[in-house]
Parts: sequence; structure tokens; C-alpha cells
Amino acid sequence: MSDSTLQSWEYLETLPGTQFYRLYRSPASALAIFRKRLSSLAKSFVMMLLYLPRPMPVKQLEMFVKDTSRGEREHALDLLHRYHIFRDVTFNSTKAYSLTQDFARSLRRALTGAADSRSFGQVANVPESTKVTIHDLDEYSRQRWEGILGYMVGSSANPLDTEQTAIQPSSGVIELLKAGHLIELSGTYSRGQAAKITKEGFAFVLQDINTQIWALLFLYVDNAEVFEMDKVDVLSFLFLVSSLELGLAYSTSALDETQQRCLSDLVSFGIVFQPTRNDGSPVDYFYPTRLATTLTSDSGTTLSATNTTIGSSLSASSSGAAKGFIIVETNYRLYAYTSSALQIALLSLFVNLRSRHPNLVAGKMSKASVQRAVQAGITAEQIISYLTAHAHPQMRRHAQAEQAQLQARSTEPGRVVPILPATILDQIHLWQLERDRMTTTAGFLLKDFSNNADYEAPCRYADETGVLVWKNDKKRMFFVNRIEGVRQFMADRKASAQG
Amino acid sequence: MNIVDATDRTEKLDEGEAPSLLTIILDTNPHAWALLTESLSLSKAVANLLIFINAHIAINHANRVAVIASHAERAVWLFPAPARPRYESHADGVHSDGEDSEMQDREAANSDTPSQPRDDANKYRPFAHIEHVLLSSLRQLIDTTTTDALSSTPSTMIAGALTLALTYLSKQIQALPSAMTSAQFNYSDATAVAGGNELSADGSRNQPSMDLSSRILILSVSGDLANQYIPIMNSIFACQRLTIPIDILKLAGDTVFLQQAADATGGIYMALDNNSRAGFLQYLMFAYLADQAGREHLIMPGEGEGVDFRAACFCHRRIVDIGFVCSICLSIFCEPLQDNLCLTCGSHLSMGNYGQKPVVVPKRKKKKKRALADGGADTPASERSTPAP
Repeated sequence: MSDSTLQSWEYLETLPGTQFYRLYRSPASALAIFRKRLSSLAKSFVMMLLYLPRPMPVKQLEMFVKDTSRGEREHALDLLHRYHIFRDVTFNSTKAYSLTQDFARSLRRALTGAADSRSFGQVANVPESTKVTIHDLDEYSRQRWEGILGYMVGSSANPLDTEQTAIQPSSGVIELLKAGHLIELSGTYSRGQAAKITKEGFAFVLQDINTQIWALLFLYVDNAEVFEMDKVDVLSFLFLVSSLELGLAYSTSALDETQQRCLSDLVSFGIVFQPTRNDGSPVDYFYPTRLATTLTSDSGTTLSATNTTIGSSLSASSSGAAKGFIIVETNYRLYAYTSSALQIALLSLFVNLRSRHPNLVAGKMSKASVQRAVQAGITAEQIISYLTAHAHPQMRRHAQAEQAQLQARSTEPGRVVPILPATILDQIHLWQLERDRMTTTAGFLLKDFSNNADYEAPCRYADETGVLVWKNDKKRMFFVNRIEGVRQFMADRKASAQG
Repeated sequence: MNIVDATDRTEKLDEGEAPSLLTIILDTNPHAWALLTESLSLSKAVANLLIFINAHIAINHANRVAVIASHAERAVWLFPAPARPRYESHADGVHSDGEDSEMQDREAANSDTPSQPRDDANKYRPFAHIEHVLLSSLRQLIDTTTTDALSSTPSTMIAGALTLALTYLSKQIQALPSAMTSAQFNYSDATAVAGGNELSADGSRNQPSMDLSSRILILSVSGDLANQYIPIMNSIFACQRLTIPIDILKLAGDTVFLQQAADATGGIYMALDNNSRAGFLQYLMFAYLADQAGREHLIMPGEGEGVDFRAACFCHRRIVDIGFVCSICLSIFCEPLQDNLCLTCGSHLSMGNYGQKPVVVPKRKKKKKRALADGGADTPASERSTPAP
């Protein structure tokens, strides 16, 4: 998960512990958070302790991890504490870890299917004639999502030529976008408001689709209180939707009032589909679309299917084979095999498009084009991650062949060959640097250590956990972006030194 | 740090984890399970196994699982359920009418087992689906076991199960739409390793891409696999080439060759005894849940114990420690061959000097001077006595 200035998973971590425990009452939420947010080592830890009757001493857990992976272990433990999954207890007068009760119970229930929480969706019986196919669902979600993105991008300087009917997003969505500062509305209400995309809006649009969906959903959760809905209920409902199976109809009778209101909002995002009866009222069942079922997936294989159906042109085959369409040459020329207006508009943000064919657009990146983008608020990282995410399979094959060669020669075994040419990467960074002389990182500076030992230990801990940003050994100060782990470590150290 | 602009350019790899395919070979040897009923019955073991499978799927959305049962005389697929043959080729047209009515009966019987699990709002659908298919296949397997099959052999068809697993795995690896199909595996090259030409001994070298990382887990209860030595060893070598670790959890029975399998492919081997069998699920969760990427960080159990490297001879399937090896094809025999012909490659092997005892030169008996206290009774005395001074 790339950290962005947008609403992201860190929002979830700011919830207080009590709300977390309420969230964990539902097995679907426990499963979703387990799957999505924990590193693989953290998942192993949780599974090890899940069926253990007693807490596990800290020393024993440390013995299971190799010495070389201490950083990974610290990172995993940090994650588990942040998500209120692990708890420090004293057992037999030694420090031990145990799983928090609600989480453990819910996860066990999720694995065995016990208890009556109904958190995995009640399947509805739909007559055969009115069944909606997966293809229809994909079409629907694609239209809605591209409508939202197109609305945002179309409000930038490059207008979208609508050759396919893009659905205008509903007013609720527009409100949400405004609340999240992704677009700015100007003009008066009576004369119609024109929307202008902001810096964060650009960052949003260039990300991959999973991050986009979650950013919007987190915005929604945050603003739930405005609509008098409880945050935790909304979150549990989102996790419930993420555990449903694509292509099946689920009945709405099992949902309570908050969940029903959520459902109608989700329909406007394109995450679920609810067919309407002839008189316009919605039926009592709904279908989750692919956007919903891949909410908790992280792996590229499932995501590529989503990207293909949503992000590429109508005529592209959705077999999952052609997941990228951009080729970048080392002479800064770019070729994109797409005819989707949205993608072309995105590309034109930082590329000078020279020619356009039925299935291809070609252009060249120049200092002027990239600096124009940087001025509008797009960072070099976003451009690079966008290009990498949509890189043509040919480029990936080339990079992987080069990687295999490198490893065979084993000159630099750790180096990863980037998919884009190294010259392009460097040059985009340099063009951005000409504008940005300074970057800011929010965090905490620790200084005034009495002696070297006191300075060394927390500094090394911060380094291993991955939160260290800067240090100066001579002056004995260091800078971290997250303080909780370091603070805990220092308190422990002091306690063990005194006791 | 990049020297141009001092930014940290290490491209963060896909933070998503690679999907993993876990193939479980469940040894359903009825004789062996009958002995285990007090400590761990088959139904309890399968229930625990289902939780383990659910845990594996819970870890990653794209994780997959496959289960094969290695029964007394055959190996069958439990999950994914095997496709039922819908029709037979009518070789003999005369019986077509009779066959049609028979086929209908069979189809009716087939539709007996419901293809969709009971829709339960409390169970995550993939879990419910797997459980349903697994249990119905297992039930069918047990129902169709005849007493003849049971009495034919006290052992289990593990080699067949391994082969089934390997074919499935290699098909899945081929079927990936990843861009890495450029590295075509060269079967005829003895040093080739799937996925690139690197040192093949290191089974944990994984490539940070969306490739399927697969492994095989064998839950074994029976011993006496000596008569399947050759097929098992061949499967082990195939897994070595494909860098698929074979993990073994031995619930009962002597170890025979499975320890070698785990050692050769970089898997984990653990044997449970009567006291620890009840903690079956905990053992599974602890040691066998992490996939290849996760194992990089964890210290795996069972690495310090010595491995039993004995082999079985090719002629009688006896387990041997010391034997005769053909110098051409390296097949192992327990006793000198008849007609000096190797059974596998047919080459003529001469025994050389084997069995010959070295010629012993008889020791020349030296005349020993016996002590005078002896009395000199048995020594032929010299004619002369010692001269007086």
C-alpha cells in the first residue's frame, strides 16, 4: 500500500481501541483485516496463537524467527499491536503475547463457520430469467467507475471526448469528492457549479484501482457521522460486502437500516448492483460486482482482471493476459495501446500526445510536459507508478529476462531491474527536482540522549522497524515518523533496567 | 541511494504476496486409521484439516488448495472434484438401449450429491464450498471401497497420489498468465531448474513476482512403502527440479523414505507420537502454514535431526543399508545378480574379485625357547647340555 496523503488505511489505525473491538465482533471484518493489512509474518504469528490455549512468552516467539529477519519481526509485531490484535500480558511472570479476545473469537468463527452472526451474506433465490450475468456486472461497474474518474479528469484542462456514454456520478458522490478535497466546486449554486480537480485529485486518479476504491470508501466512512450512521457499522458492512461471491444475488432482508442506506450509496459507486423493478423501486436483492469482491485482495493476479475490465478499452479482451498497454522507450517516446478516453486523458496530463490511431496513441515526454504535470500537483512517483502499473507485458518480459540474466551472473543479486528504463526514471525525478527543492516529512525528533548506549538502542530499533528517517550519530539525534513503537521500546528498556 | 539526486530508488516490490497453491495428500489407508481411532479418528483429523485449509485460504485471496486421497489400492481426487464422465463411448451398438437406461440411472445417482453447498450466511462461501466438496468426495470414496480392495494390500498408493499432485501442479504453473513464459523449462537438460538457470540446491530461492508458489503436504499414517520406492524417488526428483517443497507430517507408521523426500526438496518433516497427536491442528498451524516466502523468515522445525538415508533394493523391495549398485544406471540390488545382468538397463556387470578371500600364507612355526621352569617336558630337548664353565 503506497502511503498517500489521501484517506488510506492509516485512518483505520487511528480509531480508538474500543471501536476496534466492536469492529472485530463480526467474523467478516476480522477476516478482511487479517487478510489485507498484515504482513505474511504477522499472519503466521496470528495463526500460531489462534488455537493456543495459553499466551505465548515473548522469548519463545522470538526464537521462531531467524536472526536475519529481526526487522521483519519487529514490523509484524508493530502491525499487530497497532491493529489491536496482539496484547501484552504477563504470564507466569514473564512477558507474553496473546490475541485479543474479540479478534480471536471472530477469526475462529470465520474459519469454522460457527455462531450466528450472519456476517457473510444471505444468498437470495432469484428466478432464472432475471439473473444478471458477471459480464453485465462488470459493464455496470466499469461505467460507473469511469464515470466518476472521467468527471474528475474531465474537469481538468483536458476535456474528455465522450464517445461512449459516461454516466455522470450522482450528487452524493460529488459531495463526497468535494468533502475529500479531491475536487473543488466553484461558481454559484444557481448557475451550475464547475468542478475543478485538485492536487489530491490528481494523486487519486493516477493510483491503481484498489487504492482508489478504498480511498473513496474511507472518505465515506469518515463522513458517515454526517449522515447519522455509525462508523463501525458502516465499516463492518463494507467488510461484509468484500466477502461476497461474484455473480450471486444476496438478499437485503437480512440487512439492518444502516446497512440498507449504505447499500444505496454503494450502488452509486458501482460497487454493488441493484436492479430496479419496472416501477422504479429497487428489488430486495443485490449483486456485488468485481470491485466489491476484490476489495480485500492484494495480489496482482486478481487485480489485473479488475484493471483490464475497468481501465482498458472496450474492445480489449478481458482474459487477463493484456493487463498493461503502455510502452516507454528510452528516447522518451511513449506508445499506449488503448482507446479509452479516460486513459488518454490521464496520459495527456504528463505526455505530449502527438498522434492518435484507432487502437494506439503515441506521444513524447518532455521537460515541458512533465513540469506541467508537476506544477498541477502530480509527483514523479505517481507518474512512475502509473506507468509501471500499466506497462505492457512486453516491457515486463524484457525486464524479467534481464533480471534472470543478472541473477545468473550474480553480480548484484539484490538489485531489482525496474520495468521502465532507468534513464526515464532518473529524468522524471530530475525534472521534478527542478521545482521541488524541499520535501517535508512529518515526524518526531529525539535528541538529548545522555550517553551513547541510550542513543544506540532505540535508534537501531527504529531502523529495524523501518520508521527511522534520519539520524546523526555525532549529535546523538534521530528522526522517526512514528513514535509509538519507539516510545514503547524505550519504556520497556527503562523498566527492565530499573527492575 | 541514487547518486544523481540522492533519492532512495529501491523499487519496492509488489507488496502483494504471491499466490500459493497447497496440495495436500491425505493418506486414507483404512488399516492404519483403524489403529488410530482412540487418539485421532479420521473424522476428527479431517475436521482439523478443514480448518487448516480455511486458514490457508484466509491468508491470501488468491491462495488455492488441492486435496488428493491416497487410498488402499487407488489414489483419488477429493478437491477439486473430479469431472464425472457424462457418457461412455458406445463401442457396441447392439446394447445401446440397455446402456441408455443405465446411463440415466447413473446420472440420476450423480445428481444425488448436491453440487451447491447449503447456503449459510455464517460461513464464508469459499470455505463452505471446499468443505462440501471435500466431504462428499471423501464419503463417496469410503462408500465405494470394497472388501477386496482392503484385503489386497495393507499399504497405500502414495506414489500414485504424488504423481497426480505433480501433474496438477505443473499444469497450474503452466496456466499462469504471467509474462514469465520466456523461461521454458528444458526437460532434457539435467541441470535445468524451472524458472531460470540458478543453483538448484537452494529450494527457497523465490522470485518476487506473481508466480504461483506451490508446495505439497503429505499426511501419512502408514509405513511399508518399500515396494513403491522407485516411483516415490522419481517424484521427489521431479519436485526438486520444480522447486516444490514436500512437507511431511507423520501421524503413525515408520518413516521409510518420506524423510528423504522432505530433506531433498527442502520441506519440513515431523513425526507425531501418541501424546502429541491430539495437537494435530496446532502442529499444522505452527509449522506447515507458511509458504515459501514466509519460510524465509521462520526457523523451521525438524532440521536438526538426522535423516534416514536408506534405500530399497530394486529386486525384492527390501530396505538395504549396504548393497550392490550397477555402475551404468545406478540401480540398487541387495544380492549379487543372476547372470550378472542388471535388471534395469540390461548391461552385463562382472563381479570382479568380490567374495574372494585373500590367500592366507600359513605361518611358519618358529621354535620357541620355553622357560626352564616348564620342566622342558614337551620340548624336544637338545642333545647337548649346556657346557659347564
